[in-house]
Amino acid sequence: MSLDDAQIVNVNNPQQLSSPDSTLQRQVLDLGSKRSRDSERYSSISMSHREINDGDARLVHVNDALKTNERFEFAGNSIKTAKYSLFSFLPRNLFEQFHRVAYIYFLIIAILNQLPQLAVFGRGASILPLSFVLLVTAVKDAYEDWRRHRSDRIENNRMASVLVSDRFQQKKWKDIQVGEIIRFSADDTIPCDTVLLSTSDPTGVAYIQTINLDGESNLKTRYAKQETLCKTPEKDVINGFIKCEKPNRNIYGFMATMEIDGKHLSLGPSNIVLRGCVLKNTNWAVGVAVYCGRETKAMLNSSGAPSKRSRLETRMNREIILLSVFLVALCMAVSVCAGVWLKRHENELEVLQFYRKKDYSEPEVDNYNYSGIGMEIFFTFLMSVIVFQIMIPISLYISMELVRVGQAYFMIRDNKMYDETSNSRFQCRALNINEDLGQIKYVFSDKTGTLTENKMEFKYASIFGVDYSGEKTNFEGEQRGYCIQVNGQVWRPKMKVEVDKELLQLSKDGNNSEAGKHIYDFFLALAACNTIVPIVVDTPDPAEKLVDYQGESPDEQALVYAAAAYGFMLMERTSGHIVIDIQGERQRFNVLGMHEFDSDRKRMSVILGFPDGSVKVIVKGADNSMFNIIDKTSKLDATEGHLQSYSSIGLRTLVVGMRELGVPEFERWQSSYETASTAVMGRVALLRKVAINLENNLEIVGASAIEDRLQKGVPEAIESLRKADMKVWVLTGDKQETAISIGYSSRLLTSNMHQVVINSNSKMSSKTSLEDALITCRNFLVPGGSVALIIDGTSLVYILDDTELEEQLFELASNCAVVLCCRVAPLQKAGIVALIKKRTDDMTLAIGDGANDVSMIQMADVGIGISGQEGRQAVMASDFAMGQFRFLVPLLLVHGHWNYHRMGYMILYNFYRNAVFVLVLFWYVLFTGFTLTTAITEWSSVLYSILYTSAPTIVVAILDKDSSRRSLMAYPQLYGAGQRHESYNSTLFWLTIADTLWQSIVVFYVPLFAYWKSDIDGSSLGDLWTLAVVFLVNIHLAMDVIRWTWVSHASIWGSIIATCICVIVIDVIPVLPGYWAIFDLASKGSFWVCLLGMQIAAVVPRFGVKMFIQHCKPSDIQIAREADKFGSSMELARQEIELNPSRR
Amino acid sequence: MNQVTNGALKSKKTSKKPEYSRFTQQELPAWKPILTPGWVITSFLAIAFLFIPIGLVSLFASERVVEIVYRYDQDCVPEMYRGNVSAYIRNSRTNKTCIGNITVPKKMDPPIFVYYQLDNFYQNHRRYVKSRSDKQLRSAAYEYSTKECEPEARFNKSGVLVPIVPCGLIAWSLFNDTYNLIKKDKVLNINKKGIAWKSDTKVKFGSNVYPKNFQSNDLIGGGKLNESIPLSKQEDLIVWMRTAALPTFRKLYGKINTSLEAHDTITVVLENNYNTYSFGGQKKLVLSTTSWIGGKNDFLGIAYLTVGGICLFMALNFILLYVFKPRPLGDPSYLSWNRKAVN
Repeated sequence: MSLDDAQIVNVNNPQQLSSPDSTLQRQVLDLGSKRSRDSERYSSISMSHREINDGDARLVHVNDALKTNERFEFAGNSIKTAKYSLFSFLPRNLFEQFHRVAYIYFLIIAILNQLPQLAVFGRGASILPLSFVLLVTAVKDAYEDWRRHRSDRIENNRMASVLVSDRFQQKKWKDIQVGEIIRFSADDTIPCDTVLLSTSDPTGVAYIQTINLDGESNLKTRYAKQETLCKTPEKDVINGFIKCEKPNRNIYGFMATMEIDGKHLSLGPSNIVLRGCVLKNTNWAVGVAVYCGRETKAMLNSSGAPSKRSRLETRMNREIILLSVFLVALCMAVSVCAGVWLKRHENELEVLQFYRKKDYSEPEVDNYNYSGIGMEIFFTFLMSVIVFQIMIPISLYISMELVRVGQAYFMIRDNKMYDETSNSRFQCRALNINEDLGQIKYVFSDKTGTLTENKMEFKYASIFGVDYSGEKTNFEGEQRGYCIQVNGQVWRPKMKVEVDKELLQLSKDGNNSEAGKHIYDFFLALAACNTIVPIVVDTPDPAEKLVDYQGESPDEQALVYAAAAYGFMLMERTSGHIVIDIQGERQRFNVLGMHEFDSDRKRMSVILGFPDGSVKVIVKGADNSMFNIIDKTSKLDATEGHLQSYSSIGLRTLVVGMRELGVPEFERWQSSYETASTAVMGRVALLRKVAINLENNLEIVGASAIEDRLQKGVPEAIESLRKADMKVWVLTGDKQETAISIGYSSRLLTSNMHQVVINSNSKMSSKTSLEDALITCRNFLVPGGSVALIIDGTSLVYILDDTELEEQLFELASNCAVVLCCRVAPLQKAGIVALIKKRTDDMTLAIGDGANDVSMIQMADVGIGISGQEGRQAVMASDFAMGQFRFLVPLLLVHGHWNYHRMGYMILYNFYRNAVFVLVLFWYVLFTGFTLTTAITEWSSVLYSILYTSAPTIVVAILDKDSSRRSLMAYPQLYGAGQRHESYNSTLFWLTIADTLWQSIVVFYVPLFAYWKSDIDGSSLGDLWTLAVVFLVNIHLAMDVIRWTWVSHASIWGSIIATCICVIVIDVIPVLPGYWAIFDLASKGSFWVCLLGMQIAAVVPRFGVKMFIQHCKPSDIQIAREADKFGSSMELARQEIELNPSRR
Repeated sequence: MNQVTNGALKSKKTSKKPEYSRFTQQELPAWKPILTPGWVITSFLAIAFLFIPIGLVSLFASERVVEIVYRYDQDCVPEMYRGNVSAYIRNSRTNKTCIGNITVPKKMDPPIFVYYQLDNFYQNHRRYVKSRSDKQLRSAAYEYSTKECEPEARFNKSGVLVPIVPCGLIAWSLFNDTYNLIKKDKVLNINKKGIAWKSDTKVKFGSNVYPKNFQSNDLIGGGKLNESIPLSKQEDLIVWMRTAALPTFRKLYGKINTSLEAHDTITVVLENNYNTYSFGGQKKLVLSTTSWIGGKNDFLGIAYLTVGGICLFMALNFILLYVFKPRPLGDPSYLSWNRKAVN
């Protein structure tokens, strides 16, 4: 991210982006909560345009906790992340578990079964599966909660130094209250959100590390207000109050006013330190607690991200509804038949030996378990729901969760997705969309930090119309960079920069020449006009220290390091002054004011008081925002030319301007600046107005060009993605020229592409250019020709505002091979993703690294964060996070493909597996007078989906690979299988159902006819059916397994053996009716003949059809697999994508 | 350079790089079978060559089984009761004896099994199968565990509810027709010992459990039991209580250990006690020899022959397919993107 990437993010409410249209509009207003990257830079705009009114405010009396908390409305500082207590555990945990529809279904069935009229299964058998699942989950929850309790206790009992009756005393964290004054020492963790009053630094600076809060390890500066600095809490009575907003989740915003000794001060996010931060490089700091405990921003932010549901699961739910319709149909059929049967035998029921309606043991002869045909039909219906319950594969949901965990394990452990440079593994943050990775059609990528490394390096400078882009010296060998002497120590910048010899010489010569003067101005501006904080770091050599420039913008860092390399070394920065060592001479400049960067102005300025008493305003910003406010001279034209050439080779440019302020103008500015920055109402707008009034008529100082190198493997990755028929869109805040040049170097754009550029300034012009573009696009829609669309943010503003234009843009974009959007704001990024999501069914993926990508990442079906240079906001908002862009290729092409195939197969298999069992039960019911007797024992019914058949499907869904990693990487086109829904679609569903029907018929009717008119008993036949079904479904799975590792062998054959053992165990319990049945059965030849015949007859049709399709209509995957095995090469007719030689 | 190696060493300690193992990289050695045309044809042929002989052997075995089925439920009702069968069968004083003749079609070698066959009798009806107490059958100590036996659990013995042993509808409806076979004026000995499973007589039915209050309620479902013989010796009951899986079933009545010659005429003297008339059920007496495959049933043989035949047919079809429409394995021209390019 750079200065010209607008830095907006909605930290406040990530969910809001989930619905496109209306929210987007609202967002624009809501997004006042602009991301403050560091220190005071954003204090003025960090909160939204609204100001606090009394209703929304909390009043904190400084050093008076009692008065503050008069109404007991503010939380104390004790935290409770644990969910349960000893007593509330059981009810609450059960309540939470039953939020899942699956469990409720289980429960209702189990409850129905407890009614004596409906008791199909015994008590134990009916409750076992549910209680097992509940127990396992409860134990897991209890353990996690115990750990939370423990960490809560540790956290709450930490000690802090709190002012009690004018002395600082140690107090436990949990006893801290809002309004109390707290003192921190270096390396202390902050116990609650605290407004700084004073620090050990005379200017009131405190450095904090927010790694616990957002993972960023950079030091950030916070300031105490000048007015409170001088007070020592022990001695001076601090009278005053702070009026601040209600607790909220925005960790980058804070808005308050403080009234102290009758003075009115405004407070912003740079005046507050948040719970969880660590005080660094500051001896002590004193502050007053404003938010405590659960109301701290850290705690409010600890809730999880919203969960997404995978596309496959959504489709699966549709089929589950179909299955419920089947279930109801089966149950209706059984109950209607039962009714007819009862009606026909109505008069015989009393004497039927196997029915006997009446109970004679009581003196009053009464009906036994019979309440009229109507009720019997109703009961039969409910009983059949109980018997056929597993038609809805509830266990599938649990299996899917397990499988996703397993798949995530392998993704995380993949060596090929480990990033050496940042030492980071792949991260799975969302656990329920693994399979979506296999169906991506659109990839939206950020540029800076995603395609590029975001390691900025100062390259060229154009100073007052002179281009310095000569050859660079290698700093190694010749000299070890620039360094200065401080108190006998050598200070040198931490990072070395390649320097231009000529420029270095000129800058050393100093003010002697005209050029030297301009160079002096230029580097002074680079060193001064920023928010970088120099931190002096010790090295092993005591005589040498390193200066580490901490700041959030990599561009600024690069510029300051560059200035240092040319002899303008920034040594110290406080809120009031900076010290710069200029060619060995230390100079102190007063910082009289600073106008923060904001995305409207796209520039920042600093008002500097020079040692000689003069005052200058230095402005730095993006070229288009600067050219309007710089006086037109020939130098400007020259600079513009240089900028063109810089950006055409993919460099990022910034323009610097400067102006000396006269005394009257300075005073005028100063008074309005002060009014604006202490304003209670509309501070943001006022400050911006002051800035705009000041930033004009500047004199050109120069322009800088910074290189942001492409990440390793990006061109190859993009080529692979494109071959995989994914559309790669690049959305960047950068300039069009930069974007296009990066497009070329990353092989996104090729020379044979026709470029359609849309740069419009009004709705009308965007309309016409869209129409023109559509016509050109159609002309180029011939084989071999492709069109690249390049569109800028301004045009998008008009287009995304109008549904008709949006439609046209969509049509245009979907015909283009490449779309490049430049100068887009974060919200527009989300808007573009929404544009595609709304109009197609295709899956979208967004990948980015910065805070400006958060909205896009959350909007897309799959959001990927790059854990790179720019903090961790994108990672926090993402579903998956990784170190490098190129990992997208193995992630999607290999893991995504596997996950999709595995999950799709598992869902279909689970449908089949449960339905075939239910159908066998159903067929039997037709031969029992429709009374829902099951020949299969109730224990086998219960264990069927838990034990007999569960392990192989999970193992296969985690481990099976339909194609090798090598083929998938070598032929990205194979990815199309997921895009075409080849592993799960309604044709496959219906085929599966048909196959299920056939297999169930074979399994049921072969024994039926074989044992018709024989003396076989129910238990024996039940055992035969149990074994037959379990063998069959496992053999069915075995036929579809592609890679037989020892794990798959073990699980499949192990399941069969486990089933046999279970059946035997059940049959050696003497009190069960089926005692010894399996041994009697197995001693007869007919059993074995039957079993073998059933298996083969059941799978032959499937086998035949599968082989036929494999031969006549082989899928790509099938051919790749064959080629892989038999080593024949697939090189023939490989489509070549013409590569454009890198233009660098 | 030094710095780099130092850095590398340092980072190795804290490196999060996943440790390499074939398992985590999903590179476990695996067998990756691909069904080539050869394998497909071979497997179809293998099935065919396995199934056709098995089918033939089964059919042959089934053919060798000699089976005599004698339906007697209608003939054994005297003319005068034909209009009101239920009055005849429920009246304990009517003469139930009935005589019939059967002819042996082929020589039958011992052991010859004597079965009774009931049609349309739902021994697998839900109300029925549940109505038994396996605990009570097994041990005298559990005499009172009759909860599952409703509605035939207790007998109201002058106001006191006493347990019925064996309780439940299954026992209550015990089949009680009896058969005597006479060949050439000589009584054929039907051995009724050892007709029940050994496991049942030894473990499932207690040797200290004696029938009590059996068939004492008003409505009598079937046979009575000798109260002085323990359940483990009441083999007819044990056989009956192995409830049949299907509504048409046979149960073993006894075994004949002499051989019967072809064209022998056997006179059946039977007691037609059991009431199947109320639900239109049929009663049959069955004499059958047995083979390794069980009784006379051609189904398995025919099924095997059919499956074998179909597989043979499929094998031929696949041979033709592979000959006339061959596809080299792994031929890239079949890849979808290549086909598209050709088109």
